[in-house]
Amino acid sequence: MEVEKKDERGVDRKPSHFGAWVAVRRPFRVDSPFFAAGNVERELLAKQISLEITEEEKKHIVQSEEEQLWQIFCPIAGCGTKLKGVGELESHYLSRHSATCSVCTRVFPTTRLLNLHVSETHDSFFQAKVARNYPMYECLVEGCSARFLSDPSRHQHLVDKHHFPRSFRFHVKKHPSQKQRQRQKAQTQPSNSGTTQKQPKKNPKAKASHPTSEIPGASKPSEPTTPLESQMAQIVECSDDTQMDVDELVTGISRLSTVSQGGDDVPSVPSFGHRRGRAVPFGQKTRGSGRGRGRSRGRGSEPPSPAQPSPQ
Amino acid sequence: MINFGAVESAGPNPRRDPFKSSVGKGAGQRRRQAAITVGKDRRESVVRAKRLRRADPEDHGDGDAMQLVTAGIDDEAAYKVLEDNTVAAVHNLKNLGKGTTAKKVEALQSLRRLLSSSAYPPVHAAVQAGVVPLLVDCLAFGASEDQLFEAAWCLTNIASGDPEQTRAVEPALPLLILHLGEKNPAQVVEQCAWAIGNVAGEAEDLREWLLRQGALPALARNLVSPIITLARTAAWALSNLIKGPNPRAAVELMKMDGIVDTLVRLVSTGDDELVVEVAWVLVYVTSMSDVHSGQLIHAGLLLPLVTRLALSRHLALLTPVLRSIGNIVASDNSKCDAVLTAGQSLPGGVIGALARVLESEYRTLQKEAAWVVSNLAAGSILHKRAVFNEGAVPPLVHLLATSAFDVRKEAAYALGNLCVTPRDQGGEGKPILEHLTVLVDRGCLMGFIALVKSPDLEAARLGLQFLELVMRALPDGKGPKLVEKEDGIAAMEELQFHDNEELRIMSNTLVDKYFGEDYGLEEEFGSGAMSTQDDSEYPPWRRGGLAA
Repeated sequence: MEVEKKDERGVDRKPSHFGAWVAVRRPFRVDSPFFAAGNVERELLAKQISLEITEEEKKHIVQSEEEQLWQIFCPIAGCGTKLKGVGELESHYLSRHSATCSVCTRVFPTTRLLNLHVSETHDSFFQAKVARNYPMYECLVEGCSARFLSDPSRHQHLVDKHHFPRSFRFHVKKHPSQKQRQRQKAQTQPSNSGTTQKQPKKNPKAKASHPTSEIPGASKPSEPTTPLESQMAQIVECSDDTQMDVDELVTGISRLSTVSQGGDDVPSVPSFGHRRGRAVPFGQKTRGSGRGRGRSRGRGSEPPSPAQPSPQ
Repeated sequence: MINFGAVESAGPNPRRDPFKSSVGKGAGQRRRQAAITVGKDRRESVVRAKRLRRADPEDHGDGDAMQLVTAGIDDEAAYKVLEDNTVAAVHNLKNLGKGTTAKKVEALQSLRRLLSSSAYPPVHAAVQAGVVPLLVDCLAFGASEDQLFEAAWCLTNIASGDPEQTRAVEPALPLLILHLGEKNPAQVVEQCAWAIGNVAGEAEDLREWLLRQGALPALARNLVSPIITLARTAAWALSNLIKGPNPRAAVELMKMDGIVDTLVRLVSTGDDELVVEVAWVLVYVTSMSDVHSGQLIHAGLLLPLVTRLALSRHLALLTPVLRSIGNIVASDNSKCDAVLTAGQSLPGGVIGALARVLESEYRTLQKEAAWVVSNLAAGSILHKRAVFNEGAVPPLVHLLATSAFDVRKEAAYALGNLCVTPRDQGGEGKPILEHLTVLVDRGCLMGFIALVKSPDLEAARLGLQFLELVMRALPDGKGPKLVEKEDGIAAMEELQFHDNEELRIMSNTLVDKYFGEDYGLEEEFGSGAMSTQDDSEYPPWRRGGLAA
C-alpha cells in the first residue's frame, strides 16, 4: 500500500492513497506455518493405533499446536496482552476491549481511555478545572505523563510526539439524532460497539471549543422550567443526559458564541435535528419543512426528545 | 507469508536428561494421571514424522513381553522390568557372537518384541546397552531373511524415538540402504525402507546424507512393487526424504526415468492407502518445482487427482490431494485453466468438488480448500466466473459467518478476490459489481467487519479493503449506508487506537471520506446539496441552501 512516509518533523502527511484490494495468488512454502495444522493431523491419523492415541489427547495435541502457531500481542495501544491460539484471539477483544460509556454509549478499547472520555466529556468538575487553567487534558498514550490546557494542544502533542494522524479525534462531534438511534439500539439489543459517531472533516483550525460542543443540554428528561432553559432546549440538542445546572449552560453558550471567529468545525450556532453539524441560527425557527422532515423521517425509531418544546 | 505476529514454529523439543528414558515412564505417568494435559514428550512423539512399528496382532510370541503390553507404563515398576528385560536381551544377543544361527534369530526376535511392545518402547535402555553395533553386525550380507528382517525392525523402532536415538542408528544406514536392493525379499526391503524413512524424517542434514548415499533411487524403485505394503512404505519414506525445504531431492526424484508416469498411474489406480503416501510425494513436488508440476500435468495427473478430490471421503487422502491441487493452482493462470478443464467431466467440476470440501466437517480441510478457491479467484475473469457460478459462494459465505478465525480469513480472501478484476500493469483492478452486490446481499459485510476487529493485522487490513470496495463501488451511496447499518463505523473507529500506523491511517481515510460531515445530507436535500469542498470560511447556514 502506498503511504506517504511521515516527515521526521511531523509535517502533515499528504492524504495517502488507500491500498485497495488487489487479487493476488498466495503460494505457500512447503514448510509454511499455514500447513502445520494439516501436517499434525496427518501424523495423528497415521499413528493413532500404534501410539494408542485417545480422542482426548488428539484434541489437546491439535490445540497446543495451534496455540504455538497463533501468537500475537494485542495490538490495541496500551494493552499488549499475549494472545495464543485462535480462541483467545477471538475472545480477548470481547472481554477486555469493550469499555462502553454509559452516558453516551461510545466505545473505547481500554478502561483508561474510557475514564478519560468520561472526565472530559461528562464531568462538570473537569470543565470547571479547565476554566481555571489547570492542565487537565492528559496525553492518551499510556505512560506519557504530559498534560495540556486544551484539547487542541493535546491533539498537537499526539500528532507530534506519538505519530497520531492529524485526523484523529478523541472527542467526536455529537450528532444527536444518530446518537439517539444508537442509544435505542443499545437499549433494545446490548451491543459492544455503541457508536457510529461520524468524524467531522479534517480541519486545520483549532478545536478550541471541543469541550463546549459536549455541553449537555436540552435533551434532559426533565421539562425545562425557565424561558432560558427552554430556549437552550430548543437550540442545543445533545443526547447527553448529565444533569447540569443553568450556570453551566450559560457559561457554555457564551463560550459557544465566542468561538465563531474560528469558523471551524464547531458551528457558530449549535445544531440539532437531523442535519449533523449544520447549524440553525440562534433562536431562529427553522424552516419547518426541514425539521419536520427530520422528525418524521427519523432513522430507526427516534422519539422526539421530551425536552423539545412544542414546535415540532 | 502470513503474518502471525510472533510466530514460533513447532520444532524439536529441548533436550531432556539423557539418562532418563525418553518417551518414557515420566511422560506416560503424566499422561495417564493428568487426563487434561498432554506432556511435551508425548506430543512430540505423536507429531513428528517418524513412525513406530508395533507388534503384529497375530504374533503370539514371548508371553512376558505380551503381558507388558497391557501393563504398559502406568506402573513405573512394570516399565523398569521392561527395560531390564531389554538390556538382558541385548546382552544375550551380544553373547551369541557373529554369524547366523537359529538362536540368534530367536534372540533378535525377543529383542524386537520388547522394542515394539508399547507406545513407549525402551529404546533408550537398549541404545545405552550398546544394541546398535550388534544390529549392524546382523545386517551382514548373507544373513538369513529372518535375521535381516528382525534387525531392521529393531533399528526402525530405535530410529522412531528421540532425535538422539534416531542419530544413534547412523552406523547402520549404509547397510540399510544397500539392503533396499531388488534381490532382497520384500519384507526385508520394506523394513529397511521404514527405518530409512524414520531417519529421513528427523532432520534435513540426515536427508541430505541419505540422498548422497543413493537412498532416493533405491526407494523410488519400490513404488511399483506389486506388494502393496512395500509400495506404501517406500512411498512414505520417499515423502520424508524429499520434504525439503531444499528442493534438491524432489528435483532428483523427478529426473528419474519413468517416474512421472509412475506417479500418475499410482494416483489413478493405486489403493487408497498407497495413494495417500503418493499424494504426499506430490505435495512436495508441486510445491517445490513448477517445472515438474508441468510435466505431471502434461502426463495426465490432473484428472485422477481431481477425481480423488471429488469422490474421496477420507481426511487422510483429501489432505494431500487438496494441497497438491492447491500448490498447482497457486502458480499461474495456465495451470488453473488445466485444473478447471480437467474437472469438466465430473459433475460439479473442480469448483463443485472444492465446495464439497468446504462443507466438510474438517476445519483444516476447510481452511486449505478456501485457500485453493482464493487462488482460483485470483486468476482471470473466467476463473472468477467459474468460482462464482459453480457453487463455491454459499459455503464460503457460511464459513465467513460462522467458522474459526483461520478459516474465516481464507474465506475472506476467496470472496474478496471474486470482486476485483485482475490487475493490469500494476493497477489495482476494478470492482466486479455483479459479484460484489450478490455477496453483500448474502450478508458478507458482517463477516468482513468482524475481521476489521480482529487482532491479526492481515485480517484487519482485509476487512478494511473490502469495506472500501463496497463503499466505493456500490452506486447511490448504498455502500456507506450498509456499512453503517452493520456497525462498520464503530469497528473502523476502534482502529484509531490500534498500534499499527497503516491500519490507523486506512481506517481514518475511510471514515473521513465516507462518513464526513456531509454524510446523510443527500438523503434530505438531494445529492446536489452536498458541498464537497472543505470550506471553513462560512458556516453552512450562511452559505445558504442547507441549514434548516
